[in-house]
Amino acid sequence: MSEGIDVGSPDEIEEGTAKVVEPEDSGVDEPIAVFHTESGCFFALNDTCTHEEASLAEGWIEGDTVECPLHSSSFDLRTGKVLCLPATVDEPTHKVTVENGRVVLYPGVPADDAARTAD
Amino acid sequence: MAAFSAASELRARGYDGALTLLSPEGLPYDRPPLSKGYLLGSEDAAKIVLAPEDWYAEHGVEVLTERAAALRPSEASVELGNGRTLGADRVLIATGARPRPLAVPGGEAALTLRDRADADALRAALAPGARVVVVGAGLIGAEVTSAAVGFGAEVTLVDPIDPPLVPAVGEALARRLHEMHGEHGVRTVASVPVEIAASDGGACLVRLAGGSAVAADAIVAGIGIVPNSALAADAGIEVDDGVLVDASGATSNPGVFAAGDVSRLRHPDGALARRAEHWEAAVRSGQAAAAGMLGEPAPEFGAPWFWSDRYGAHVEAVGTLDARSAGRIVLREADGLPQAAFLLADDGRLLGAAAVGFPLLIRAARRIMDRGLAPDPAALADPSVPPRKLIH
Ligand SMILES: Cc1cc2nc3c(=O)[nH]c(=O)nc-3n(C[C@H](O)[C@H](O)[C@H](O)COP(=O)(O)OP(=O)(O)OC[C@H]3O[C@@H](n4cnc5c(N)ncnc54)[C@H](O)[C@@H]3O)c2cc1C
Ligand code: FES
Repeated sequence: MSEGIDVGSPDEIEEGTAKVVEPEDSGVDEPIAVFHTESGCFFALNDTCTHEEASLAEGWIEGDTVECPLHSSSFDLRTGKVLCLPATVDEPTHKVTVENGRVVLYPGVPADDAARTAD
Repeated sequence: MAAFSAASELRARGYDGALTLLSPEGLPYDRPPLSKGYLLGSEDAAKIVLAPEDWYAEHGVEVLTERAAALRPSEASVELGNGRTLGADRVLIATGARPRPLAVPGGEAALTLRDRADADALRAALAPGARVVVVGAGLIGAEVTSAAVGFGAEVTLVDPIDPPLVPAVGEALARRLHEMHGEHGVRTVASVPVEIAASDGGACLVRLAGGSAVAADAIVAGIGIVPNSALAADAGIEVDDGVLVDASGATSNPGVFAAGDVSRLRHPDGALARRAEHWEAAVRSGQAAAAGMLGEPAPEFGAPWFWSDRYGAHVEAVGTLDARSAGRIVLREADGLPQAAFLLADDGRLLGAAAVGFPLLIRAARRIMDRGLAPDPAALADPSVPPRKLIH
């Protein structure tokens, strides 16, 4: 699946917060969290923590990381890499762009950064 | 946990020599779910392993399902339970702890919870309608009680302290947490058992101080843990309610380190810390010991943190809420219920925070403490101030 979906205008997701795109809207199996960092960048990861059941969109977003609200594993928003225990499995990334003043999510398409580090 | 943490930290720090993990229970797994999802049956054994099998191959960690029987630091070796001897230049003792037994006549009838087999046995005992007496209303006792209620058991929770956990979460949240038991149909009794007597049809009678007695189909004791420090003591290593270590996990023997629940920190001035018995402390002390084993300086860590869950409520605390020695408590309340408590030092710095159901408050508090900031007490107390705004 490579078609972009419109997530809204950039200021609809406040900086330092995230918006969840549900599977029925994205067409992929898992909810996706679209993060807007304090420095104004957009990133997207699967929303459910790889450790247990928690929504990363409800976590603490700081710099280019998000800290899980349940047991505090952190993930790199650019690459999805898990940065500390208890989670040991990385989060899949999804590509997000800002096109013509809209935030566009490409569910299932890995973010460029992730694609690069995977090489 | 501490052993896994140390192994992954050794590799992260570039150690590329041989690394063996003795784990008599097989692939290392996480213990917190044993009183939560695993006990309830929503998570299985495969779900709670710390890392999948491939992780160990990828990181060059050999897992042997064997016990250490004796340490021979002078010969740079460890004797295994199967009689084999393993060469080891550095040894980490991360043997954890075992539940404190219920030391009253008949107390051996009480179940305890530390490993997967204990959780399996406990789950089997938590049938709908079963009369369960839980002794100890600390974190483990409260979680087991909550799980037992989930199974439809009829629970009596016995603890002499009412409410428990005041030093950990402060008086208001401790009371709020303890009241949840009653709200879920649990009978709480402020007492201690003095004897467990056999009764009809395999049931027991738990006699309490003060003269009352409670009939029980199952008894569970969650009254603290005892460090598994015999390996260290037998090898002549200093032990005092835990294997004594410095900030790098070094014991009194230069080839031997310790981390996790079995260890107890001795400060440079000789004062002994309380043993840390939480998950994060095991992770951190494992990382510190990895640094120590490589001769590198111990990493600096912020204030200690833990979580616990009961009746679907997620509890977290960072630092201390023990106001007996210093500071004043600031409460954040909404609709008459306390959401969070903060302990402020006289100079305005934050010493600790606890919350029931507001994890971002704790993440904010952690950062405030790590940065040594003095937060605005009025903002801390105001439930309309979002956690992120507390930092500025
Ligand atoms: C039921 C339960 C729920 C918990 N819930 C929470 C929670 O919600 N939040 C929180 O912060 N903390 C929680 N904890 C605490 C946390 O799990 C522990 O602090 C942590 O597991 C300690 O790690 P450790 O490595 O020191 O010990 P352990 O995890 O116990 O590991 C010790 C290991 O050493 C092995 N061992 C023992 N003797 C030998 C030997 N001679 N040779 C080889 N191996 C040996 C044992 O089999 C065991 O696998 C909970 C603990 C339990 C038991
Ligand atoms: S659920 Fe995210 S760290 Fe546990």
